[in-house]
Amino acid sequence: MLLLAQAAEAAAGPNTAEIVLFWVFAVLALGAALAVITMRNIVHGALMLVLNLLAIAGLYLTLESSFLGVIQILVYAGAIVVLFLFVVMILGVDRDDLLLAGRGRNQIAAVLGGVLLASALLFAFVGPYTGPPSVCGSDAPIEVGSGQQRCVGLADQLAEDDGSGAAFLGERMFTRYTYAFELSALLLTVATIGAVILARRKDLEIEDLDQEPDGGGVPGPDGLGPHDHDPLAAIGADLAGQDHDPADVVDTDPDDQTPTDEREG
Amino acid sequence: MAIGYYFAVSALLFSIGLVGVMVRRNAIVLFMCIELMLNAVNLTLAAAARMWGGPDGQVFVFFVIVVAAAEVVVGLALIVNLYFRRGTIDVDVPQLLRY
Repeated sequence: MLLLAQAAEAAAGPNTAEIVLFWVFAVLALGAALAVITMRNIVHGALMLVLNLLAIAGLYLTLESSFLGVIQILVYAGAIVVLFLFVVMILGVDRDDLLLAGRGRNQIAAVLGGVLLASALLFAFVGPYTGPPSVCGSDAPIEVGSGQQRCVGLADQLAEDDGSGAAFLGERMFTRYTYAFELSALLLTVATIGAVILARRKDLEIEDLDQEPDGGGVPGPDGLGPHDHDPLAAIGADLAGQDHDPADVVDTDPDDQTPTDEREG
Repeated sequence: MAIGYYFAVSALLFSIGLVGVMVRRNAIVLFMCIELMLNAVNLTLAAAARMWGGPDGQVFVFFVIVVAAAEVVVGLALIVNLYFRRGTIDVDVPQLLRY
């Protein structure tokens, strides 16, 4: 990427590198996003999501926000997509199903709605910012007409620190937005505790799966429900055998189970 | 590079994510499409931060990433629970969220 930038910079003016990198990463991001919503295999979709996130990190680099690019790669591609892949592999849902589920009119309406939203956003939100005043970088115009906002750019601020933008970002985050920062720490703690509580399956017994009147056996429109039932019961039996003493398994009063199910459901 | 091109990419990414949310029925893919939309908004914020020459937009991007991480953690735990209770994560199955 840096080689590409240097090559482009050597070939033409200093602003050409940004243009070349922008188009490369924009096409990558849009193509990968289209692949995410059309891939039949969920694992392939997750990998396309990684590609999309990396392309957006590249766009951050062209926006002089290299710290955001690093954070994007670390958090999204490194943590979130790995979490997606973990869940996909735990559930074993990499079958090529659930795509375009046979309701053609709804699909067409959804695509039309997306096109409508895109055109509305492009018209109202993009159009005013494609003129000369919104050009950042080295070929930015010095003077713009009255009533037009000139693109300031980040070069001046980034020149004050080491150029990475971390100090530039951190100074504002720990002064004006300290309260929001503390709240985000609290939010992460709450999310972690919530995930641990949700993932704890102590009350999920074999009977819990078998006795539900229509619960686990709800047949999907394409017949997904019933045949998933037996492996789950086997998993439940395995867990019950490992994690619970026999008295706990035998003692399955439905009256005891019901309120728990109500609350957790 | 005019800042509007970044806005255009962001708008298209958001629309693609919205179409994905409406078209797909697998809950995991739905979460991926929500991530696409959040990233589109992040791109807009970073581009606007560059346009105005201040760090505030980048700080917002940071917080959006934090909230997205927390949302994915809780949402995927919910999906795992739904799968073990219902045997499917098809969001169009009737009564998936009742009970």
